[in-house]
Amino acid sequence: MSLRILVFFVIGLFIFILDIGFNSKQDSKDIYISDQELTSLLSAWQSQVGRPPSDEEIVNIINNFVQEEILYREALLLDLDQEDRIIKRRLAQKITFLKQETIPDDPSQEELEKFFEQNKNNYYVPATYSFSHHYFSKESSAKEKAARAFNDYQTNGTELKGDPFFLGKNFYQNSADEIKKNFGELFFLAIENLALNKWSGPHESAFGEHIILLKEVTAGFSPPLEKVLLRVQQDYLLQAQDKAITEYINKIRSQYRVIINPDYQF
Amino acid sequence: MKTSKSFIGLIIISTIFVLYATGFYKNFQSNSALEIIDFSIKETEKKNIPSNPNRIPLYGDLHVHTKYSFDAYIFGVTATPYDAYKYATGEAIKHPLGFDMKLKEPLDFYAVTDHGFYMGMIENYADTSSKMSKNEWTKPMHNLNRPENVTVESLGERADLFSSVLTQAIIQPYPYWHPKVWKAWFTKNIQVALQSFDYDVHKSAWADVANTAEEFNEPGKFTTFIGYEFTTSTEVEGGNLHRNVIFNSSKAPIRPWTRIDSLNPEDLWTWMDGLRDKGVDSLAMPHNSNGSNGQMFEVETFRGNPISIEYSEKRMRNEPVVEITQVKGTSDTHPLLSPDDEWADFEIMDKRVGSRPPTYSMPQGGYVRDAYLRGLTLEWGGQGNPYKFGLIGSSDTHTGAGSFDENNYWSKVGVLDGMDMSRGSVPLTQDRIDQLNEYAEIYDQPISNKELDGRTYADVGFDQWSASGLAVAWAEKNTRDAIFQAFKRKETFATTGTRMAVRFFAGFDMESIDLNSEDMVQNAYAKGVTMGADLFSEDNQTPQFLVWAQRDKLGAPLQRVQIIKGWVENASGTPKEEVYDVACSDGLLVDPVTNRCPDNGARVNINDCSISNDVGAGELKTTWVDPDFDPTVKAFYYVRVLENPTCRWSTWDAVKAGVSPRPDLHKTIQERAWSSPIWYIPESSELDIIPL
Repeated sequence: MSLRILVFFVIGLFIFILDIGFNSKQDSKDIYISDQELTSLLSAWQSQVGRPPSDEEIVNIINNFVQEEILYREALLLDLDQEDRIIKRRLAQKITFLKQETIPDDPSQEELEKFFEQNKNNYYVPATYSFSHHYFSKESSAKEKAARAFNDYQTNGTELKGDPFFLGKNFYQNSADEIKKNFGELFFLAIENLALNKWSGPHESAFGEHIILLKEVTAGFSPPLEKVLLRVQQDYLLQAQDKAITEYINKIRSQYRVIINPDYQF
Repeated sequence: MKTSKSFIGLIIISTIFVLYATGFYKNFQSNSALEIIDFSIKETEKKNIPSNPNRIPLYGDLHVHTKYSFDAYIFGVTATPYDAYKYATGEAIKHPLGFDMKLKEPLDFYAVTDHGFYMGMIENYADTSSKMSKNEWTKPMHNLNRPENVTVESLGERADLFSSVLTQAIIQPYPYWHPKVWKAWFTKNIQVALQSFDYDVHKSAWADVANTAEEFNEPGKFTTFIGYEFTTSTEVEGGNLHRNVIFNSSKAPIRPWTRIDSLNPEDLWTWMDGLRDKGVDSLAMPHNSNGSNGQMFEVETFRGNPISIEYSEKRMRNEPVVEITQVKGTSDTHPLLSPDDEWADFEIMDKRVGSRPPTYSMPQGGYVRDAYLRGLTLEWGGQGNPYKFGLIGSSDTHTGAGSFDENNYWSKVGVLDGMDMSRGSVPLTQDRIDQLNEYAEIYDQPISNKELDGRTYADVGFDQWSASGLAVAWAEKNTRDAIFQAFKRKETFATTGTRMAVRFFAGFDMESIDLNSEDMVQNAYAKGVTMGADLFSEDNQTPQFLVWAQRDKLGAPLQRVQIIKGWVENASGTPKEEVYDVACSDGLLVDPVTNRCPDNGARVNINDCSISNDVGAGELKTTWVDPDFDPTVKAFYYVRVLENPTCRWSTWDAVKAGVSPRPDLHKTIQERAWSSPIWYIPESSELDIIPL
């Protein structure tokens, strides 16, 4: 008998013995609490409470443990782990992961480029606006004050002066979203249509009236693939995973027949 | 022969003893929790991000759980950190019950902070293909056997499972001879010695959290922090001492420091100090002090020793800000603590966090105003002030997505409270009641329903939860470091989810500033200190305060601005507090006797939740002088801004369902913001510091 066969035999025997031990424990009504288990129960208690348990508390700890074990085993005997929606869902999730994992990790350059072309909008870098403004608070008849101040500025060259605005006077390269967030929709509509380097107003915002000087607009643009490669790769992968699972279900689904009581009252 | 053997044995033993006694063994130990990893995943573009010296308010949430948290996974949550950050940048993600969750406006910063304790492990147990699940003891983790259509009741068992994870049931070490135990000793990593722990799984979950934060961090646009929650508590039944930890860099430790390493928050701070020595700065933010049974702001240490100056300094070095409001209630103050504050009864959650059955949480030591007073008292006694922190809010959502709007609310624990009926805001249907009763009978659970005016409501405590809150930092720009430094300066405020903003300054020449000039803020910064700072006495002059509040443009108008003052009497050490209205909407004036604004007439229509639109202010600004100022007394001052009343989420739920609101809940709330305090420091005199 070669050594190799002997080794396998020994391993097999070992597994067999383990198996017997494992199964016999399942069937018997013995609750065996090992020394080590006891030690760890007690030390866990101690680490939580900060002192060793008293005799009475030790009895409680063991009773609790035993009770839990009994309930657990009886639940298994009643097959309460069967038809459990949460276990079902978890298994469904696992096969989803399994199917998703069949996708190669690194898509080819070609695939990426194609994906990028199809989803170019997602990577669009939006336009930005740089501007200054003078603010007239709603608290103090904003409209008239703003109109008067702007009129004085246009006719007499009077220096423009408004109320303090919470976020200050100057805004540099703000996107449409940022402007909407800071001032509201109306204000952005005004900004969008302004001529460069010319004070204009009054324009309404969520907080009052504004006289605005638009200084710079950088146009929005689609960046080349290299600039956003990492994001594209990630998005590609996510999409591929979604696709894989949908395709898998579509393929398999035809083999299943769904039966629902036609008289069921929804 | 025999003698020589035992002689050799003796030599070996004594050598080991000498090595141990001399501490030589320490040379072989390394501290795995101090190993630092660079999680950055992309080249950071060197961009010139414009900086605003007058600072801008940036809104964020620093308390977000995803599927990696052991409890969130139990609550049915499958949202990943990736989903959470998508949500923060304005995209819709799915609630576990299937509906869309979307922000009205994107946030400026966000941090996914999963429980560090057993991070990623529960998912691994539930996964029967994993190495861990082969073990006998993972079976209780599969023991989530409840059909999901009785979600409310499964809270009981889920909560049991939740606490069994937190306590002893699954924490079992390997026997002493096991190599993993040796590894645990050599690397100071007790987790490795636990049978229920797969270190590789844990590390990869943490790496995913960190890498995803890095991926979404976009300097100038959107900031993320690598972070986690240190979920500790005093004892099995005691108060939660939970705090979130965030790191100010792409570099972070290889694993989070958790309650397995130590339950004692002081050890967390030691670890954070250690990381700081290695160039990784971090801060910890306590939360849900309201549910801590008075333990969060104790007047003694974790081990019951008196607080020392060293303790106070260490705590403040590591915990400059505290979460005052979140979904599990608000911790400003409690009606029992502040009987003279008419706004104290606000979103009070008076149960201990995670307690089953819900157990009353003692208010003393659990609310921030009380903590500020305790801090002054401790300082008065020469023990330093461990409670000189600033304020933030955050959500503590467990679905990856914070729920900030009263009229678009999904609470936080996934399938358990995603529906109005399960939250107790809308009566249960008869079918549902039958189902619940049947369930209670089968599983021998107490019936958790409540009869009110002939209707039956779910009564599981979710009715005390809130659509709250946000952390706001005054930063020069939206970058990780700028925001982090704002937290360290405590130049922060908290809101209940509204995007209102508040500035707060103190100095001795504030009244000379023109409140209507465009350079008002610049002047205020130049002439005084702002929220979170100390104002040192200058020749016993009376300080002047400057407050400026702005409404949320999508929210209700402002009703009033208040300054809350607390101090400790020099002679007796008695803590005192006072609430002053300092600015009223609609041109109304504060009554100098009562210190209150008159009613501005703002009302809410409970039938459709509409509000009066013609009253209230877009902004309120004023300067203020404390009428009861004593230059020799240490004091703190913080601002509270109140909106006009609006419907509470529970009323919105009822309106949408076409039923009348539940009679025992507040119908309306006043959304609010709290600034970090400014502390007035008198000139030191010999009368001070008389330790008793």
